[in-house]
Amino acid sequence: MIAVGMDLGTQRVKAVVLKDGAVMSRGQAFSGFDPTDAAEQAVEEALKQVHLQKADVAYFVATGSAIEMAPYANSTVSMMSADAKAGIYLFQNARTIIDVGAEEARAVKCDENGVMVDFVVNERCAAGAGTFIEAMARALEVKLEEIGPLSLKAERASPINASCVIFGESDVVSLIHRQESKPEIARAVFDAMADRISSMVHRIGVNPEVIVVGGVAKDVGFIASLNRKLGLNVLIPDYPDYAGALGAALIATSRAKEVQK
Amino acid sequence: MIESSIKSSVEFWRWEEYNRIMPGKKWTSKDLITAGVDVGSVGSKAAIMVNGEAYSWGITRTGSNSPESAKKVLDWALRDTGLKVSDLKYIVGTGYGRVNVPMANKAITEIACHAKGANYIWGSSVRTVLDVGGQDIKAIRSDETGRVVSFLMNDKCAAGTGRGMEVFADLLKIPIEDIGGISLKVDEEPPPVSCTCVAFAKTEAMGLLRKGWSKEKVLAAYTRAMAVRMANLINRVGLEKELVITGGQSKNIGIVSRIEVILGVKCLPMPNWRENGLDPMVAGAFGAALFAKALYEKAQKP
Amino acid sequence: MKTEKVEKKYMPEIPRREIDELRNSITAASQKIITENIERMKKADPNRPEAMKYFDEMANIFGPRQKEIAAEKEKGKKVIGYMCLFAPTELISAADAIPVKVSSGWYDTSKLGDRVVPVEVCPVIRSTIGAKMIELSPFLELSDALISVLTCDGMTKLSEILSDYKTIWGMNVPRVKDADHSLRFWNDEIRKMKTQIEKFTGNKITHKNLKAAIEQTQRATRVFRRLQDLRKGPPVIMGRDAMLVNQAYLWDDKKRWTEKTEALCDELEKRKQRKEWVCPPETPRVLVTGTPMYWPDNWKLPALVEEANPKGIIVADELCSGERILNDPVGVDEWNMEDMLNAIGERYLMASTCPCFTSQDGNEDRINWLLTKVKEWNVQGVIYYVIRGCMLYAMEYARIKKALDKINIPVYYLDTEYTREDVGQMKTRVEAFLEMLTARVDF
Repeated sequence: MIAVGMDLGTQRVKAVVLKDGAVMSRGQAFSGFDPTDAAEQAVEEALKQVHLQKADVAYFVATGSAIEMAPYANSTVSMMSADAKAGIYLFQNARTIIDVGAEEARAVKCDENGVMVDFVVNERCAAGAGTFIEAMARALEVKLEEIGPLSLKAERASPINASCVIFGESDVVSLIHRQESKPEIARAVFDAMADRISSMVHRIGVNPEVIVVGGVAKDVGFIASLNRKLGLNVLIPDYPDYAGALGAALIATSRAKEVQK
Repeated sequence: MIESSIKSSVEFWRWEEYNRIMPGKKWTSKDLITAGVDVGSVGSKAAIMVNGEAYSWGITRTGSNSPESAKKVLDWALRDTGLKVSDLKYIVGTGYGRVNVPMANKAITEIACHAKGANYIWGSSVRTVLDVGGQDIKAIRSDETGRVVSFLMNDKCAAGTGRGMEVFADLLKIPIEDIGGISLKVDEEPPPVSCTCVAFAKTEAMGLLRKGWSKEKVLAAYTRAMAVRMANLINRVGLEKELVITGGQSKNIGIVSRIEVILGVKCLPMPNWRENGLDPMVAGAFGAALFAKALYEKAQKP
Repeated sequence: MKTEKVEKKYMPEIPRREIDELRNSITAASQKIITENIERMKKADPNRPEAMKYFDEMANIFGPRQKEIAAEKEKGKKVIGYMCLFAPTELISAADAIPVKVSSGWYDTSKLGDRVVPVEVCPVIRSTIGAKMIELSPFLELSDALISVLTCDGMTKLSEILSDYKTIWGMNVPRVKDADHSLRFWNDEIRKMKTQIEKFTGNKITHKNLKAAIEQTQRATRVFRRLQDLRKGPPVIMGRDAMLVNQAYLWDDKKRWTEKTEALCDELEKRKQRKEWVCPPETPRVLVTGTPMYWPDNWKLPALVEEANPKGIIVADELCSGERILNDPVGVDEWNMEDMLNAIGERYLMASTCPCFTSQDGNEDRINWLLTKVKEWNVQGVIYYVIRGCMLYAMEYARIKKALDKINIPVYYLDTEYTREDVGQMKTRVEAFLEMLTARVDF
């Protein structure tokens, strides 16, 4: 039984194909100005990899910030529930899932069955999400994939304005002028983000195991800072940016079963 | 320089850097030649004045190094004038980077300098000055001599600032010097965007484009939201005619016209800076150069 | 007294390791800031009064005074902390207990407080909560009981939250001051507090020991006023130094503080006679009013004013962390118990200019105080300082601005948070304001 989950994020749409609850393939496309189209592409790409077509799919579930733009979906599910479900699937002992995306961060508390018990969202400020890292990488004049490793070289962090992406940018620029080292500035960027996200998570309580998903989880600099801030080592799955789509697909699987009954 | 932030071949956010010597103006070694250097967070401006009259100026983008930006823009202002830095009797630094203008004899805040500069550009009838800079907005009340009576700043948030506009120009792929005019190409003024935060306004804008809004309409919505913020700031400091707008966004006719509509008052007309008029973006540097003159003269008195 | 085993109503459980780690790191950071503040104050006045050395020592709140109070506790004395200036410290002293103000001037702990209350809540409150979470505040930790005064919303709920750890006695303040029944009610609160303190300490508050306590405070008030009076003319002391001396009263031994401040005033008198000013007399004279400015992190603004270009000097303030502490004496007519208690009640209620109060004419006391200060201390500009989140001070601004506009005194509304990040932005505003005040930038 084939189930598909779609996560329509602000930057990219991710799709995951499950067969009888096991991951078969993944697909993605840039959301750009047309997330609906991007979703179609992402799903097509994932299905093609395993030589399947839309008609073979028993159930589609959509999630993500542009959820209403899903081209077709049998039902939808909140990102929080999707995260909780994916968390348990990826790590049996996951109890706190932190999802850091391009423009939003959230934390979900779940029980041993992957049922969401509490959640908190940080949506009011772009400085606590991936956009911040991108802007800072630009200001530091390093590639996005380089800023993480760069920050690991630092032993301390320079102080920067963590409250606004725009001001953070100019802080970075003036720190460069003050000859602060780039690694230390890079580390400051991640420390600032980790600080915000840690504050957010504490509002629902930090229950181990803590897993981090979303695109930003791939950034080693961010994870290092987050570990320091939380005082523990977070777990990161493979393909962390697909967690939302995976969760949606898992829910699609159980809903399909319900329908079949 | 922040120029590598956009990798495309056309950089929509990039505005024109230039220098100008006022036609028909000259200097001699007997003249009191002073300079003002305004190192802003986004743009750097320098002005040379001869006996308190504008002689030349330059505008460049501020790089990552304030002292170097100061040097660069001052060199631009001096270009082709035959003057050297050593010919300048007194230099005042201002702007966000004012403490980092190495050649300055003194630093004065941009609030005082914009008030003075506005008074110079438009005359003694100016009472309210709105300066929209790269990263902050200031509303200043001044008297007939260009002295600051009171002021309000909004620098806690990049909304409405030049940086915000650059982000939008980039997003909509419209050259920044055109966004003002293009924002006015709407039949009916749309409601303003609800998110003031630049980062989120960008997302909101993308959503509007997806809904089928034209670029013009999206730009109009954002520009209106920003004009409302600026008008509020002016009202809070207290609007008294005449009102003028300085700083980079004074050239954004979309902002200027909307502010005039919201406040029900016309700003004093923009000088024809493209030809032989004074550039309001340089108001801070003009004011600084005038303070330089006054300070030099004061120092000469026994 | 409650122990930590009691189930907490508000506070989360935090692993002991985390508490200790955070407390140690923030203590170290705070001591650095204290040292830095003092260094900067020393730099501002190369000829700084000798007497300031004592206060520099007292400024290290993790240092001598903490040890001293701990030693007294060992000997059996009780420590009663208080959260607000309305607490009648004379009653505490009379009962042979140690009064100490518990105020939170740490930026770093306000972030910890975010775990319990949202970020919109007053940063001072959040900072206090955070400090309790990691046992940071020497005086809060040493307190055997706390007096909380239910002035503003933040204070009201804070006392509930702190009751998770400490015995707290809340004192009700009537919001409308100028009514007989208000004063009667408050006097009842005072008497209730007297009984509570007696029971808690096991010491009776007698006519003799209460008289002694009141007289001590009166002496402190006299020397406090002497210090502020010396700031009326050309400056003999930097604002930051005077502010530190004023605030140190809140945690220092009252008798010793009085003596040391007296010595400081003697020194300043000599300077006045010799015309030894700490800065040119034409330096712009600034008054700061608004939300409390607690040592050490909140020296942010005073430092900006006194190190700006152009420089300014703080000659007076209207702050409950400053000149409101000891400005008004307890005025006793008849030295009998009834009258003494009434005098205490009246002093603490009627003299207050806190914006939590209102009356038929609004908070007129505050306006009058400000206008007097502006005139007698020759103030040229007022900085209206508000820590974002405080409704009361924010809302009184409009009225105060109008009153100051009438007498042609510029006033600037400067809002900030418990953060170090906005120093750059504050600097521009403060400097522009000081430029406005000087005739320096002038044709």
